[in-house]
Amino acid sequence: MNGSLKSNYGIWEKLTKIDRRLIYLFLFLVVLIPLIYPFRLAPRAMTPVLKLFNHIDTIPKDKCLVISVDYTPDTEPELHPMTIALLRHAFSRKIKVGILCISLLGLGLAQDAISIVTNEFNSKALTRNDSVIYGRDYVFWGWQTPVLVPILGMGENISKVFPVDYYGNKTDTLEIMKTIKNYNDVGILVSISGSAIPFYYITYAQTQFGVRIGVGSTAVQAADFYPYINSGQVTGMMSGMKGAAEYEQLVEERCKIYARRKATDAMAAQTAAHLWIMITIIIGNIGYFILRRRK
Amino acid sequence: MSFNLSLKLISSIAFFIASAWALTPPESVTAQDNPNDAGQKILIKWTLSMDDSILDGYRVLRRKENETEAEVVGFVGRGRNYYVDENAIDTIKYAYQIVAVYDTITSPSTWSNYTKSSPQWIHTQRIDVIIFTLVFTFLILYFINQARKGQELFIRKIAGLLAVEEAVGRATEMGKPILYVPGLTGINDVATIAAMNILGEVAKKVALYDSQLIVPNTDPIVYTVAQQIVKEAYTQMGRPDAFKADSVYFVTDSQFAYAAAVDGIMTREKPATNFFMGYFYAEALILAETGAATGAIQIAGTDSVMQLPFFVVACDYTLMGEELYAASAYLSREPLLLGGLVGQDAGKVLIVGLLIILTIIGVITNLPVLKIF
Amino acid sequence: MKVRLPLILVLITGILGALPFIIPHRIAQNFDNEFRNSVLRIIAAFSLVLGVGSIVRHHIYKIQRRKENWEYSWILLVSLVITSIIGLFGGIEGNGSLPTRIGDFYFDIQTIYMHAAIPLGATMFAMLSFFMASAAYRAFRARNFEATLLLLAAFIVMLGSVPLSTYVLPKLPDFAEWILTVPNTAAKRGMGFGIALGSLATSLKIILGIERGWLGGTK
Repeated sequence: MNGSLKSNYGIWEKLTKIDRRLIYLFLFLVVLIPLIYPFRLAPRAMTPVLKLFNHIDTIPKDKCLVISVDYTPDTEPELHPMTIALLRHAFSRKIKVGILCISLLGLGLAQDAISIVTNEFNSKALTRNDSVIYGRDYVFWGWQTPVLVPILGMGENISKVFPVDYYGNKTDTLEIMKTIKNYNDVGILVSISGSAIPFYYITYAQTQFGVRIGVGSTAVQAADFYPYINSGQVTGMMSGMKGAAEYEQLVEERCKIYARRKATDAMAAQTAAHLWIMITIIIGNIGYFILRRRK
Repeated sequence: MSFNLSLKLISSIAFFIASAWALTPPESVTAQDNPNDAGQKILIKWTLSMDDSILDGYRVLRRKENETEAEVVGFVGRGRNYYVDENAIDTIKYAYQIVAVYDTITSPSTWSNYTKSSPQWIHTQRIDVIIFTLVFTFLILYFINQARKGQELFIRKIAGLLAVEEAVGRATEMGKPILYVPGLTGINDVATIAAMNILGEVAKKVALYDSQLIVPNTDPIVYTVAQQIVKEAYTQMGRPDAFKADSVYFVTDSQFAYAAAVDGIMTREKPATNFFMGYFYAEALILAETGAATGAIQIAGTDSVMQLPFFVVACDYTLMGEELYAASAYLSREPLLLGGLVGQDAGKVLIVGLLIILTIIGVITNLPVLKIF
Repeated sequence: MKVRLPLILVLITGILGALPFIIPHRIAQNFDNEFRNSVLRIIAAFSLVLGVGSIVRHHIYKIQRRKENWEYSWILLVSLVITSIIGLFGGIEGNGSLPTRIGDFYFDIQTIYMHAAIPLGATMFAMLSFFMASAAYRAFRARNFEATLLLLAAFIVMLGSVPLSTYVLPKLPDFAEWILTVPNTAAKRGMGFGIALGSLATSLKIILGIERGWLGGTK
């Protein structure tokens, strides 16, 4: 009798002390399997994402969307789909786009996003008017540092901050730059970053020049931006991979753009990982409760 | 397609109207020295043109006193009614003219008054900060003075700091080293300075118990300071010979390479106690979880709010936010430092009190019932 | 003097560092810019020499004493020397005096950075998810009322962060967002408030020479 009680204790105690390597192994598997055999879980857009989408959707024709690609390769899985989704949205609505980088490592990522989306649009285009053309529909200004130089400078004159674009063209000679002179011509500026750069845009570009600011942030950092959404200093936000997936969903539903949705595809893996963590917590608590009751 | 056509049509009509009835110029142009700056800046303000909504923007012209020739100094978009000329010379007086621009059509305002730029010695918008800093300094000095006179000052117990002695003792008993990670920021960060203060106290206990201390650093300046602090601590405890210069060293300034190196130290050397004090980023949980896996007692302290939850779950004790700054006073029990701590709390009480009073005033003055009168 | 001189230096530089915040005059601003941009950069550059010296000394010591895993110290020292030579003489993208390619094999500093440093950094970052899982398993136990509340909040936010919740409990993501927007923000603001005052008080104590821990506790 005593022995069986002890062995029962053993089972429950084991539940409270699962080997961490076992937790790692299962986490690895639950992430891997949905990536190999994908199934789609389309998320519902939350208010901050919806606000961002609606604002961009209603940008007047004489204003543009500016995307500040401020992330580095380590946060690429979370943030890169945001840039791609924003570009798809803007090009489908014929909104002019300006792209810049404040983080040097963002240059390659911005170029990658531009290539992906322009190829998607141009491969389906039948006329020149349907195509996405550099210098007419979008401009890639390149990189400028230190952080306050482009943020403050663009309030006065964007061409002065970026006299030459990423490809070496004189910015002033581009057709698009006739309509984009400074923040007055910007419908919204979306800063996508895993660092503190969006805070600079909020503090300097929004406060001093009144330009609308959108944010794309990593999930772990998103909580820092809620006070700014509450105060209206940030118009809308995409937080983490789920935020990107929500935006992808809106672009597909409302703009009828059907293309690969990397963030949405990863949602199944993310959901599985979350569920696995919750299961381990429940298992640990079951063991803990039974042990406590018996003691 | 039709939208583009109608846009072109509207634009042509606007151009026709603008050419037929000339643009209304901006009015009431004034120029004044830009306040609170280092000089060489003049602030120009104007009333927007009646045709602002169709304009390209406003061109800003200036001319020197006793000269007739004007030069263009800037251009701002429509809807904006001010401009800061940042290229003025302090000794010269300037007047400004604002020209409304629509395509090739322009409409100039009258010239503004003459003014010159000058630097200021006090930033008038920051006087409140100066007052607050002075009050706060006074409070700290007052309580330090009280402490100096021998007045007993109460400080609540901080579990993480009470455990320091036990943690060092445990490492000695086990014959294993103590790992001290002083955060990832430079010496200019208050969190790093606080980490250095705690390191001094920890090093003294390590010297006393004759344990081994490992301090890997991510910043070369912090490394030199840390080395000096540990050396001084050993000397103060009368054991300069026991100090090993090799125990405090620089690893790398790359965030994740540093995390990998510290993880390596934890898995190879198996320290009995890990201290994580200072400012941390995403590597916080990587370090703390590896430490937990090796079975070490872990004491963390950070003012990085985002990383606090990670330390709370993975460490035995966590100093949260300002507790990190209070640690050196707590550990050393020096009256002067304790006095500073009480002064800091008094400042906090003052601010919270002010916030409550002002909130009440704000709510009361906006009550709908008051609007009846 | 050994103690007094650093304290005097801290007092002077501390006050000089704070004054440009309230004095916009160009004399104060120029001094501040010069101090921050030139003096501090020079100090930082020299400190890097100290840092490299430290790491080299540490690993040579390990090799000499044949300490545990001393073989890895060789890898570090050889990598340090080779990378430094490539960086100093090979240019950023292989446009320096030292050739940095053999046929199609490139080994310029940009390639090393893109194909070694970044993937290694990303790997360490990715390990975070594994550590989060094991930490959550160990920490979230309903030991008392507060812990239960924390556990529930964590569950709601975790469930609200995945699309599945939209199908099962449509209102849950909104509640998760409310937790993040209201109670979480309130707590963060409170913490921030204390941290700001604490750091101000610590700075004042250092400038006034009351806090001397950074001097090694010298009285």
